[in-house]
Amino acid sequence: MATIILPARCDRAATTALLPEFVAAMGNDDLEIDASKTTLVGYAMLQLLASAKNSFARLRIVPSEALRDAARLTGLEIHLFEEAAQ
Amino acid sequence: MTPEEIQQIFFVECEESLAAAEAGLAACRDGTQDDDTVNSVFRAVHSIKGGAGAFGFSALQAYTHTFETLLSDVRDGSVPLTDALSDLLLRALDTLSDHVTAAQEGTPAPDDAALVADLTAAQANGTLAQPAPAPAQPAREAQPAMTVPDADEEPGDVEVDLDALLDDLIGPAPTVEPAPPAPDWQLHLHPHAGAMRNGAEPMALLRELAGMGARCVTCNLSHLPGLDMLDCEQGYLGFTYALPASVAEADATEIFDFVRDDWGIAIGDDAARPPVEIAVKKPAPQVAVKEEVALIAPVSVETADTTPAAVAAATAVPGAPAAGQSIRIDLAKLDRLIDTVGEMVIAQAMLAQRLEGDTAAKEELQMLEGLTRDIQESAMSIRAQPISSVFSRVPRILRELAVSTGKHVRLEVIGETTELDKTVLERLGEPLTHLIRNAVDHGIETADQRLAAGKPAEGTLTLSAEQRSGRILIKVADDGKGIDRARVLEKAIAQGIVAADNQLTPEDIDHLIFAPGFSTAQAVTSVSGRGVGMDVVRQNVKNLGGRITIESEAGVGTTFTLALPLTLAISDGMIVNVGDQTLVVPLTHVVESLRPGAQEVQGLGTARQMLNVRGRFVPIIPVGHHTGFTGKVMQPHEGVLIIVDTQVAGQAALLVDTISDQRQFVIKSLEANYRAVEGVAGATILGDGRVALILDVDSLVGGALGQSTTIREAA
Repeated sequence: MATIILPARCDRAATTALLPEFVAAMGNDDLEIDASKTTLVGYAMLQLLASAKNSFARLRIVPSEALRDAARLTGLEIHLFEEAAQ
Repeated sequence: MTPEEIQQIFFVECEESLAAAEAGLAACRDGTQDDDTVNSVFRAVHSIKGGAGAFGFSALQAYTHTFETLLSDVRDGSVPLTDALSDLLLRALDTLSDHVTAAQEGTPAPDDAALVADLTAAQANGTLAQPAPAPAQPAREAQPAMTVPDADEEPGDVEVDLDALLDDLIGPAPTVEPAPPAPDWQLHLHPHAGAMRNGAEPMALLRELAGMGARCVTCNLSHLPGLDMLDCEQGYLGFTYALPASVAEADATEIFDFVRDDWGIAIGDDAARPPVEIAVKKPAPQVAVKEEVALIAPVSVETADTTPAAVAAATAVPGAPAAGQSIRIDLAKLDRLIDTVGEMVIAQAMLAQRLEGDTAAKEELQMLEGLTRDIQESAMSIRAQPISSVFSRVPRILRELAVSTGKHVRLEVIGETTELDKTVLERLGEPLTHLIRNAVDHGIETADQRLAAGKPAEGTLTLSAEQRSGRILIKVADDGKGIDRARVLEKAIAQGIVAADNQLTPEDIDHLIFAPGFSTAQAVTSVSGRGVGMDVVRQNVKNLGGRITIESEAGVGTTFTLALPLTLAISDGMIVNVGDQTLVVPLTHVVESLRPGAQEVQGLGTARQMLNVRGRFVPIIPVGHHTGFTGKVMQPHEGVLIIVDTQVAGQAALLVDTISDQRQFVIKSLEANYRAVEGVAGATILGDGRVALILDVDSLVGGALGQSTTIREAA
């Protein structure tokens, strides 16, 4: 399983830099995103994660509290962390 | 525009918000508020909070949150507005100002713990004192963080509450398309591509919205493309937030005031509003505009037409941000414009002089002259700002002085809409503050003294501004005890500022307080008149090209009058000739000009001559002699005398050969282009291309009379 580790600061610049890595990983069925160290999650990163969720058959996100907080704020928690609702 | 520039705009707007809040709270304290006054204060504080959140000034944001929570309850009537509360709110505003300053300067935030506790207690007590209105109950449940629960909680709990709010709000975790749990009203939001421009972060605004009790009930993912089609610059997600009924629509949408162009915003439930849509992978500007149409004018969601006309029509729909109301300009650009206009004035004068007598071009020249003046006035008006921006800081000064001196002073302001040059305004604050502090410290008596003198216990300070004869007159008047001239003179003699045998008029004595040696701390505490730092005040005013005068009456009060130029760049002057030189006498000093008869001039001593002006003798100063230029006339009755008013020595008569003109001149700094020259304030370029020196009348007269006038030495 491929793993992409997110930086602490996931602002638009970081998202733009990471997008090619996500696209390159599309050949895999599984992807793990390690966001456990993120302390700042911007709108662009949320969009990227939400899009990635649609693009991979199995995507697991390991969130930090900052990411969970951002997901709650935008109503994306279920979409991003399906296991949270179960 | 860089993030730093955007941040700078935020701080400018903070100043405006603080001034608006100050005015509103002052009205509340004076009992002159109307229905919208508290709301306007709330909006001002809320606006600062919004920006603070967006720029990450957490201390400022937390403080404004507490402040606006109380204001919200005052606005709703759940906390009664009493005198004590007005005072508390004013104190809170002062601290808010300190918070803004700290954020701007990057210094530690002020210690607001005690004040936050007071605000919290006031909010809690006020809320408890009155039964909460029934309709507000459900809303309270939906926005726990908007109320600060216990007075004895630590101020930092505000932040904790915000977090708790988010946790509470999430409750049964919102799904992508869940049914809203009976929201009171809904707000649909869609950040467009521009919402992330220049480092802006939509999440900051959404967080602030959540802080008002909003919770996301729907996130529209339908336009989100796959990873291979994703553009990080675009905005694909749409949100529907549920807000409690207690939150006014205007307050919620105000969060997005800064970014209206870059967000789609619509209010109403799903049935009344179309779902947020976005045309993915179309050029960003068109997407943004079309989306605005879709949200603001749902009946015309025909987004296929992307012609410029359609785009223009879309931006003109009701509810779109009003265009062209104001624009912020880099001050350096404006200064360049002013400089260029100044050069144009000179060029126009040169052309007029060159074509003098050319009747064929007379009409065009007049038109050019009119246009030049119009452009010049327009350019100057861009820099003009109302003096209220300076006056609005005075209430705080008085509040602080009330604490330190125990003297409560009522403020009256007249002419606060009077406009003057931004630079003059910026440099006016310091001398004005000094005058006000002096008025309260040394002019206005204590309450007991005032009552004993038959005056109201509360003193009155009157600030006024008016435009008169091309100048701005600013008056600082108090109804205190007036200048104690006997004590001032005694002190001045004791300090060696004037000789004991000097015969001084009351006005001369008043002006002694401007002497530098008179402004020591020792002198201030022992002199019951005025004194501290007044030399600095006078110098500041002089540096602005202005003058300061005093009127004082024992037991009645003292008035300081500052006469300032409308602008520092262009002024009016009298063009005079001395020998082969052309000089400019600033009109602010000129009282009158005359050709004296021989009988009106009398000798004094070996070389001095005095002019009898309607029974009063003023010294005659041959300008040529004192500037080093050889004048053609040496006898007053052969030339022209210009009576000038000076701060250093009262009136004097300047002897010049002739007066050739009176007109505006563009001031060029001699110091910047050559070096400082005593007696010369600057230079200007005449219509014929020659350079003319602008006389520093105070310095010239002071220097000329210096050998024998002790007052001049004092000044």
